[in-house]
Amino acid sequence: MTAPSELDPIGLEILSNALRSIADETFVGLMKSAYSTNIKERNDHSTAIVDPRGRLVVQAERSLPIHLASMTGLMQCLLEKFGGDIREGDLFVANDPHVAGGTHLPDINMAMPVFAGGALAGFICNIAHHADVGGMAPGSMAGGMSEIYQEGLRIPVVKLFREGRMQDDLMDLLLLNVRVPEERRGDYFAQIAACRLGARRLGEVIKANGLAVLHRAFDEIIARTGQRLRDGIREIPDGSYRFDDVMDDDGLGTVDIPIRLQVDVDGDRIRFDFAGTSPQVAGNINVTLNATVASVAYALKALLDPEVPNNQGVLDVAEIAAEPGTLLNAVFPAPVAARANTSQRIIDVVLGALAPALPDRVIGAANGANTTAVFAGTDPRNGQAYLYLETLGGGMGARAAADGKDGVQVHITNTSNLPVEAIEMEYPLLVEEYGLVPDSGGAGRQRGGMGLRRVVRPVGHDCLFNGAGERFRHQPWGVFGGQPGGTGRFVLQDDGSEGRGLEIKPMGVTVTPDQRLIVETPGAGGYGDPAERDADDIAADRRSGKFSDDFLKSHYSGTSKKR
Amino acid sequence: MGWIVGVDVGGTFTDFHAIDDATGELRRAKRPSTPDDPSRAILDGLAALTRDNGIEPADIARLSHGTTVATNALIQRRGGRVALITTRGFRDLLEIGRQTRPHMYDLQKDFPPPLVPREWRFELTERVAADGSVLRAIAADELEVVVEAVRRAEVDACAVCFLFSFLNPDHEKAVAEALRGAMPGLRISLSSAVQPEFREYERFSTTALNAYLQPVMDSYVERLAAGLRDLAPNATVGINQSNGGLMSPDRARAFPVRTALSGPAAGVVGALHVARSAGRPDIITLDMGGTSADVAMLRNGAADMSFDREVGGFPTRLPMVDIHTVGAGGGSIAWFDRDGLMKVGPASAGADPGPACYRRGGTEPTVSDANVVLGRLPEQGLLDGSMTLDRSLAAEAIRPFADRLGLSVERTAHGMLGIVVANMVRAIRTISVERGHDPRTCCLMPFGGAGPLHARDVAAALGISEILVPAAPGIVCAEGLVVSDLKEDFVVSHRTPVDDANADGMQDHVAGLLNRAAGWFAREAVPEAEQVVELSLDARYQGQNFELSVPLATGTPAKIGALPSADDMRKRFFAVHETAYGYFNPDDPIEVVNFRLTARGRMVREADTGQAAAMVGEPDPVGTQSVFFDPEAAVESAVFQRASLLPGHVVEGPAIIEQLDATTLVYPGDRATVDAAGNLIIGLEQ
Repeated sequence: MTAPSELDPIGLEILSNALRSIADETFVGLMKSAYSTNIKERNDHSTAIVDPRGRLVVQAERSLPIHLASMTGLMQCLLEKFGGDIREGDLFVANDPHVAGGTHLPDINMAMPVFAGGALAGFICNIAHHADVGGMAPGSMAGGMSEIYQEGLRIPVVKLFREGRMQDDLMDLLLLNVRVPEERRGDYFAQIAACRLGARRLGEVIKANGLAVLHRAFDEIIARTGQRLRDGIREIPDGSYRFDDVMDDDGLGTVDIPIRLQVDVDGDRIRFDFAGTSPQVAGNINVTLNATVASVAYALKALLDPEVPNNQGVLDVAEIAAEPGTLLNAVFPAPVAARANTSQRIIDVVLGALAPALPDRVIGAANGANTTAVFAGTDPRNGQAYLYLETLGGGMGARAAADGKDGVQVHITNTSNLPVEAIEMEYPLLVEEYGLVPDSGGAGRQRGGMGLRRVVRPVGHDCLFNGAGERFRHQPWGVFGGQPGGTGRFVLQDDGSEGRGLEIKPMGVTVTPDQRLIVETPGAGGYGDPAERDADDIAADRRSGKFSDDFLKSHYSGTSKKR
Repeated sequence: MGWIVGVDVGGTFTDFHAIDDATGELRRAKRPSTPDDPSRAILDGLAALTRDNGIEPADIARLSHGTTVATNALIQRRGGRVALITTRGFRDLLEIGRQTRPHMYDLQKDFPPPLVPREWRFELTERVAADGSVLRAIAADELEVVVEAVRRAEVDACAVCFLFSFLNPDHEKAVAEALRGAMPGLRISLSSAVQPEFREYERFSTTALNAYLQPVMDSYVERLAAGLRDLAPNATVGINQSNGGLMSPDRARAFPVRTALSGPAAGVVGALHVARSAGRPDIITLDMGGTSADVAMLRNGAADMSFDREVGGFPTRLPMVDIHTVGAGGGSIAWFDRDGLMKVGPASAGADPGPACYRRGGTEPTVSDANVVLGRLPEQGLLDGSMTLDRSLAAEAIRPFADRLGLSVERTAHGMLGIVVANMVRAIRTISVERGHDPRTCCLMPFGGAGPLHARDVAAALGISEILVPAAPGIVCAEGLVVSDLKEDFVVSHRTPVDDANADGMQDHVAGLLNRAAGWFAREAVPEAEQVVELSLDARYQGQNFELSVPLATGTPAKIGALPSADDMRKRFFAVHETAYGYFNPDDPIEVVNFRLTARGRMVREADTGQAAAMVGEPDPVGTQSVFFDPEAAVESAVFQRASLLPGHVVEGPAIIEQLDATTLVYPGDRATVDAAGNLIIGLEQ
């Protein structure tokens, strides 16, 4: 096929197809060559192509929403700092949320400039969540710290490669500050290899099409995406919409932390003002502005146009106002490791605000958390230390025409669970139950999704449990009369006893072989008046055993609608 | 022996390919499929084939077929009512899956609901531990209650799925026995029998799917067998599996889930056969039909296999030919996305109304319409002129798109083909570069009705310099069925570190596998001379979660004796790791997760493809046609009949080569030669 001479909607489609291929190939390349389970199995990484001005052009299809903003964040800092000093063979690395555009320290960002005939053609970028970046606690994600320094190694934008030469002393410094440095080295090299692969592929595209055509295509792709999303915004009735919600706590004593939002829509313009939101907190649930932008962009995309390509056009459409020093625009030295919980809540709040404007598209509040359970100890079979970390899904909110999803990762994340058989072969743990939490989906014309329940017992040793929950006190709300879903909880249960509830963000809880640790994640809110629920659906709720007779009686006692 | 008949049941046509084992005589036929009962087209077609060719039904020695029965039943949700018995505490596992959602941003999109409703999922107190020991035995009284519950549910089939049953199947077997005792007619699927491998959700999902399909396959096999009693009374019937080998009808009834990719896998087997006949070991296949294109990679004369795949929206873990499917076919429809970019597919006009040029009322522009407008598909049409194509209707369908773009109809049609080619190129990149293989070292083999039309553009985009068009591109699948082997895969899932200390244990696993294979060879009456086994390991670095398949040995069962040394196994693992990921670490410890043995019973010797004396020079064209190879101007091109092309003939582009079921383009500057086996080898202009 001849190269498109004009960037008409045909030539542009073919060229952007080639660019998507590059992003996807580097995504798979990174996934395969990485060392850690977090990247290989859970795919906690993203890849992208960025233009010379630092604008995101193409992101790999399976990239994560929250990484969208980190990439552009890094690029802005990179261009500011190195504007006149970007050379062929350089490779930049960074992770810091406060000075390098990141969202939390474990996400290591890389960017490699690509040149064509001496001119800067663009950048190949990727992000991978490293299983450890040093700091006070293994995994670099634990709560209980009040400064970013405690969370791990801070990396400003630096050149890891200068004109093709790796800066060995810098790499030594990076690796000295992390746990399991051999594994981290493997992950760093996987990221470097993915950058090089992308650069080679982009070079092939430039060779086939020319740099001028490529740059016109970059502009065109971003402009068309922006236009497409603005067309979507026009579908939202003009007006002001408000909503607010509260986070349970920050793990360091601050509770009921408010997030307030006013959305103003005027034609194809939309403004998100978070005035009235809590100041930043001592605990690690703070969010930098980039992550707030990514969360809002996710919500807009999900509501207006789930298939719209992920690029700068999506990020630029919304105006966002959040005061520096607040929960959603945290500044140095705020800790941010658990920012995903807050991101989830930002999205709930955006959906809540736009509910009256887009009643058919919004859903009830989801489980609103990134429920984390960490078991650590020494394996009695071989005397080796182990650490098993898992984030659990929960309910997803009910929809206008369908019940909410049960037991899934929602919104900002979509990572897999670890198979029970994998857990038990790898760690001295017994999983006694893995199921849905009965009665946890909020009642409604459409009911909310159900939370997850996992019951774990250590085998032949005492283990330590750390956890992080949200929506353990404040239920996920319903919309249009839908009822709230169930809250989550951590329970420690002695055999033969009822068990006792733990804190929302428990630290260092000892679990013995005669005890079980129960994790129950929140459900989600319902949609519409429960009195309007179809009798057949109620019958199915009963038949399936997902809801008790008591629950059904108390929520659907009125006459229900027969279709 | 007698006649061997391959029957491929496609969505639109059922193809027949018959070969006389003694004389090498070939017979081919085609008839419309009967999707409501696919056996009808098979039986009617077989009757016609024998009648028209004077074949005695009693002389049909073997009938092999690819079936879409299971796939269609799944798509249309026409499977059976299924109950599930599982370990206490894990009733919801089938529903939770991997706790992910199918689309990152689409709030409305769901995975399909589980095939077993929650009220028919029953828990039983029992537990096998991670080392295969019994942590808690089955309580007899509780088992009785569960069996009674299954009985009351009045289901057609029951799946039994316990944790760690791949290490210790005793509990599943005990439950099966109790079920059989209470309900002799109940179909039962055990997860330890369907696919005894680690990772419970994928195993349970595969097993539930199998149970769901059992009733459908049962009645299908019965109808087929009844019909064949008269039409082919002496024939051994083989049903193609997703792994590209045949199984007996009885095994198909026990394991219907293995037929999920039956048809496409037959295409790959046929392609392997063609590749051998042409002496080209490294091939990328492009099987393009009306609605979709299947691509696969053949390396060193063998197809790549994959083990995880979604079937009808459900994760399925089984050995399957590594086929990647993309919604790109002759009927794929062009449309404008919300950002104004043009897209083609995956929506398809199908067979009815079909593309606009079919004159059946279709008005949306399709890939076939674009080909007709560009003169690439002849107006006298498909299937021996029985259906002509209407160029003006095709142009009319494309014109509104051309007007919106401000381009000529030809330029727009050319652009549509460019987009559909880009989609196929992406699919091929997925199975080649993303797996560590360079497509430029391969030959592209297009088949299916639309493959040879688009192969040139696909090859050029991938840097491939040679195209191999089989003698009969439309029936490669049916041909593959004729040359298929009987095949069975055995697996032991047991995590074992690779070091010399574990040599005995590993050897025991291999011996166990060989034992099971011997039993299968005996049951299927495979003569010793035709027995072949392949041994491989799924291995990984300790602590990683991705296994790689490491082939160890192929040969007769007697030859697969001792395992190589641990050091040798490590080296082989490194080589595979290097190919797949571009690096390996010689110091890190390695472990085996699965031991696999594939047993084959060879059914057919490769036919001798020697042909009459080679021809020299160009054959005579039957006419000329003006063809738009590029969008700007048409070129007068010679038209040849494929039937008149004989070994040794050379065709210089620009040319069009027509045959019953496919059209091949030879671009200006390219050169096509006919090889000894009747294949067309097209060399691309360098």
